[in-house]
Amino acid sequence: MSADEDGRVSNDNGLVRLRRPSPEVASPWRSLDERDQTATYLASIGDDLGEATEPPSATSRRTFLQFLGASMSLAGLDGCARKQPAQILPYSITPDGAIPGVPREYATAMTLDGFATGLLVRSSEGRPTKVEGNPDHPTSRGKTTLLQQASLLQLYDPDRMRGVENRGRPSSWEALLALLCKDRSDAGAGLRILAEPTASPTFQRLLGLVASRHPGSKNTFWSAMPVLANTLAGAQLALGKRLQPRLDFARADVILTLDADFLTSMEDQLVYSRDWAARRRVASPGQAMSRLYTVECALSPTGTMADHRLARRSAEILQVARAIAAQLPTIAPELRGAVELDPAAARFAAAVARDLARCAPGSSLVVVGERQPPWLHALGWAMNAALGNLRTTAQAEDPVLLEGSQDLPALVHDMQAGAVDTLIILDGNPVYSTPPELGLEAAMDQVRERIYCADYHNETASRCTWVAPRAHYLESWGDGRAYDGTVSIVQPLIEALHGARPPIELLGALAGLSAPHAHALVRATHPASDWDAALQRGVVNDTTSPLVAITFGGAAAIAAALGTTIAPSPHVLELDFYLSPTVHDGRFTNNPWLLEQPEPTTKLTWENAALVAPALAKRLGLANEDVVELVCNGRALSVPVFISPGQADDAVALWLGYGRSGAESIASKRGVNAASLRTRSTLAFAPDARLRKLGLAQSLASMQTQRTMLGRPIALASTKAGYEANPGFTSEHKGEVASLMKPVPFEGLQWAMSIDLGLCTGCSSCMVACQAENNIPVVGKAEVEKNREMHWLRIDTYFTGEVDNPGVIHQPMMCQHCETAPCEYVCPVNATVHSPDGLNEMVYNRCVGTRFCSNNCPYKVRRFNWFDWNKRVAANQGSYQLAHNPEVTVRERGVMEKCSYCVQRIRGAEITAQIAHRMLAPGEVRSACQQACPTGAIEFGSLSHVESTMVKWRQEPRSYAVLNDQGTRPRTMYLARIDNPNPELA
Amino acid sequence: MNSADEPVFIGHPTDAALTDQILDPVWAPKSRAWMPAFVFTGLGSLGLFALVFWTFWTGIGLWGSSIPVAWAFAITSFVWWIGIGHAGTFISAILLLFEQRWRTSINRFAEAMTLFAVVQAGIYPLIHLGRPWFFYWLAPYPATMKVWPNFKSALPWDMAAVSTYLMVSVLFWYMGLVPDLATARDRAPSRLRRTLYGIFALGWRGSARHQRHYRMAYGLLAGLATPLVLSVHSIVSCDFAITILPGWHSTIFPPYFVAGAIFSGFCMVVTLMVPIRRLYGLQNVITLKHLDNVCKMILATGLIVGYSYFCEFYLAYYSGDIYEQGTMFHSLTQATNSWTFWYTIFTNVVLVQAFWFRSVRQSPIIAFILTLFINAGMWTERFSLIVLSQQRDFLTSSWHAYHPTFVDWGILFGTLCFFAFLFLVFLRCVPFIALTELKELNRKMAKEAT
Repeated sequence: MSADEDGRVSNDNGLVRLRRPSPEVASPWRSLDERDQTATYLASIGDDLGEATEPPSATSRRTFLQFLGASMSLAGLDGCARKQPAQILPYSITPDGAIPGVPREYATAMTLDGFATGLLVRSSEGRPTKVEGNPDHPTSRGKTTLLQQASLLQLYDPDRMRGVENRGRPSSWEALLALLCKDRSDAGAGLRILAEPTASPTFQRLLGLVASRHPGSKNTFWSAMPVLANTLAGAQLALGKRLQPRLDFARADVILTLDADFLTSMEDQLVYSRDWAARRRVASPGQAMSRLYTVECALSPTGTMADHRLARRSAEILQVARAIAAQLPTIAPELRGAVELDPAAARFAAAVARDLARCAPGSSLVVVGERQPPWLHALGWAMNAALGNLRTTAQAEDPVLLEGSQDLPALVHDMQAGAVDTLIILDGNPVYSTPPELGLEAAMDQVRERIYCADYHNETASRCTWVAPRAHYLESWGDGRAYDGTVSIVQPLIEALHGARPPIELLGALAGLSAPHAHALVRATHPASDWDAALQRGVVNDTTSPLVAITFGGAAAIAAALGTTIAPSPHVLELDFYLSPTVHDGRFTNNPWLLEQPEPTTKLTWENAALVAPALAKRLGLANEDVVELVCNGRALSVPVFISPGQADDAVALWLGYGRSGAESIASKRGVNAASLRTRSTLAFAPDARLRKLGLAQSLASMQTQRTMLGRPIALASTKAGYEANPGFTSEHKGEVASLMKPVPFEGLQWAMSIDLGLCTGCSSCMVACQAENNIPVVGKAEVEKNREMHWLRIDTYFTGEVDNPGVIHQPMMCQHCETAPCEYVCPVNATVHSPDGLNEMVYNRCVGTRFCSNNCPYKVRRFNWFDWNKRVAANQGSYQLAHNPEVTVRERGVMEKCSYCVQRIRGAEITAQIAHRMLAPGEVRSACQQACPTGAIEFGSLSHVESTMVKWRQEPRSYAVLNDQGTRPRTMYLARIDNPNPELA
Repeated sequence: MNSADEPVFIGHPTDAALTDQILDPVWAPKSRAWMPAFVFTGLGSLGLFALVFWTFWTGIGLWGSSIPVAWAFAITSFVWWIGIGHAGTFISAILLLFEQRWRTSINRFAEAMTLFAVVQAGIYPLIHLGRPWFFYWLAPYPATMKVWPNFKSALPWDMAAVSTYLMVSVLFWYMGLVPDLATARDRAPSRLRRTLYGIFALGWRGSARHQRHYRMAYGLLAGLATPLVLSVHSIVSCDFAITILPGWHSTIFPPYFVAGAIFSGFCMVVTLMVPIRRLYGLQNVITLKHLDNVCKMILATGLIVGYSYFCEFYLAYYSGDIYEQGTMFHSLTQATNSWTFWYTIFTNVVLVQAFWFRSVRQSPIIAFILTLFINAGMWTERFSLIVLSQQRDFLTSSWHAYHPTFVDWGILFGTLCFFAFLFLVFLRCVPFIALTELKELNRKMAKEAT
């Protein structure tokens, strides 16, 4: 507000906002949200008032009364401790076809690391409440990753940026877009765009328009971990062209992965998981299955599923790969030659090479991970070529991602030279994620206008002159391309909550469009396509990239490149950087679901830690939670240690994404910023790190502290040969247990679940799906340390065998819905009872909270509301509550809760069937965990549907019930995991 | 001197002298320690109420409990306090029926101890509920929704057993008090006291008719209370025995718990008796014979308890059940908090053997110190049984070590204070030795002597 003569006008302006909210405020979500955030809202009003030039004594009576009334009405909001006042707004204009109470699903797509995955999102009365995979989308096929599941909560994050700001003062989109739309005199020479990797056709089109309007402008794509950079460079080396691999795990009998976590970290992981699982399911003894060899540094979900796993420092993997390649009989002669390896690795390499060579041509697969240098990718192509895989399992297509016209170091150089006057940063958080040696942060000071469109007031936002809220994919139009090139339209489900807009509108303004709107921009990109069909199906027809015919011809080039590499010296500590399996590169670090999500192998929550192998810990005298100083690339970091069996000796692994210092309330001060130790050349791993024990300790919250089964028959496993020799190896763990009690008859629909441990990769997608579906609160780190987490579904991960190279087995564990449930008879008030259709039900209203049921539950799957989590923990409050599934009760403090087999879905399907006068069909009800599981390890259904997969699975010889000898008759049955080890390596 | 020769009452005072001796502490504090102790325990009790209020307000997350250790300090203390109560009933009811003379001098305050211990015990199950405001759902009351408690669960049994126990204990204690209240009424120095005691004395005049009815009723109540000594702790033990949790799932629990209860109760009797005897100069009324007999009871029940420990381990070994064995041979003996188990073994199996020696039994100070250790040992016994079993059950993935919070400690300390507070009030309000019965005994012994 200006220094107006008439102070009352200024004051009134402030009050007009209050009494007659602007259109944004009037939208129901904005308004509800502000009521939950009263303090913030009052503060923002206070700011407006503070700018009044008039002295307080000059306040008129009328104004005073207006203040009084306003403060009274708002103060009342704060005073209610128990009942939150929420304005009930009439659903007066009902959208066509919408029935109140009946959720609708919309197809949309989420883009992460440049690739879009098709999703179906459930909308309950206008609120997106659950994310599922789109069965029609080629890279989702109805499945989701945990990040996609949790992206829902991101939408409702109260810490999201709330409006456009120019140098810390509120501004408007109009002002920003007008600034961008202005003509430039320098033909764009001082204009730079720094964006996240993307393949969006609209982005591409607009970038083209920007380039033609400002021919001198340049653009750069950057992400914390390079996406496909080494992969494409490797293809260039081996195939003569930058191509991205299209892998087919369903046709591979023997798979060798070199630092490639294809099950949970690679771009096309959902497709890979499903294809891999198709070859790992052993329906009967003797059935063929694929064999998986893994060479990696830190233990990944792929490593946990490997039949043979070799843990070596990331830099050593090249040597192992060379040794394997050299021993393939059909390898190009340039790549032969002895490679020096330690005996264990040499034995592994020889056996793998023989096993690969034994395969029929075209039925094996070598996969190389993005963390490895291009020449290893090229060597991977060489091996695939030698094994005849180029036309079957390892094919290629043109890259989908857009390529920038300038790389990041060049951009920073231009900035330092003062050649840049306007830098537009579209999403990402480069100030946080770039290596400090690049000097991006300091170079930004040389740029006059730094415009940033992002979700949060993060590290980058604090260095920018303009910040603008970026729209979530659920609240804006957009498009994207899947890994295989398929185009999807991003369709919004809700009005933008905080006036956020997608980055393409900024590009539109830059391209000279006066009032760009995302819908029009996207529509213009796809003029020919059948728009409505594309929206409905979630994919645009006929947009899949064709395969490119490839021939391997780079043997000499690879040999030359390999000749320049030096094998790492032994016992030099290597520091390995990984994207966090839960919070990714830091963009999800303010997401409470993901922070409390146990990492699949260590089960750590809320923070990162320096992961070390047991042998290294022993050598350096380290125990869990000891704080060490980690020195690398001339920088130091204090971080607690966590011992991770299965990791390579002489390697320390750190997850990126933590140690954030932005304004996000939940993310800040969680863990340490591993990115600060990186340099341009050591983005994935750095040699020559040093580690010093500091003599301090810092607590870490691991959700599972006892990691071995101590010989108890909990998660059973056998080998392919063992299963053939003794198919009934689980027979003593199932069937009737002698009892004096009369058996209870169960008739009609009887719900049950079957879980194949051979397919569970520990990816944890099911856990977040369960959390989203069932309104499960988070509890915070301190409560996790007290074992009070609320997850209805957990994944127990056990280590077997030796500690340095352990076997790993994952076991999803949730309420087993025992037919003779021990929890039921001890409840003094009948709050947990059995339904006629075989569900162990919780009656929240009746529960008094004796916790007797939990004591008597041998699976310990019951969860107790020690506090009113929804009131006590900020991460469950405010706008986060908009993510709640209206079909599921929010539980009060003092009551017990647990997995319900998604009873709301069962009852919903029953009602639908009843209205249609028909029986429930097999497979009609799917539990949330089943629906999300990328490998299809969980099957749910009724025992009466004898033809269903669920029932067939439990009839397999390897099925068993956990703790069958306790006579609980659990309804959830597990299929023992079957591995396929190479007899040569046994 | 042979313990058999030690009399249960020394000297032959007149009735008036005896009455003065016993009633004096009621009229005026005889010990300078009383007032500071009263203030201290009063403040401790207020602290208890504050912590309970805080727990009600916020939730029992304030405690250290978790999944899998859902029951910890509260249930441990509940079982411990209930056990302590047992000695009072045992002395007043069972010894009465067996016509043991040595009960007379100690039954009154042993009963009071029972009462106050049950009050402490009763606090715990209530405050340990997740939603304590619905505690009455555990009782079979005619609800409008026609829902009943689940009678298969041990907790409604518990509620019935403990409330019955409290009621019978109150009645029994009060019934015994009536003649003494009449004496107090007759001797009261002020009008107010005379009126108050008069009201509670229910018009007792000591006529032969009164005496006849009184004896009949007292005997009947003793008969009623006797089975409670066995039933209450048997039922409390069912809270554990009916589950399938290794370490809890055990058929020897009922007798084992009863023995442990009487064991701990008698220890508490000694802990209270020794200072009272000294501070109030009651060496003639509470003699070494009493101490000797109580210590013998401690030894006998202690041996039963020790034998039960042995049985548990043997049964775990003999059952071949890996979970049972895991609990007994690892979780109990070598996990976090396992020191409580070893401390229990030290006090309840090793230390208690000292009572084989008469010199120990008849030394008030040594017996007092030993019982303090054993009292704590009985608490750790309940703790190790309840908590250590839960810390590590079937699936290793859910194992978790228990750590109490200061609220847990505070509530335990608070009930100790509240117990002592009630006891201090009791000492100053009513004759804490059964005066009428004592006079009877005095005359009987005088008659026998002549």
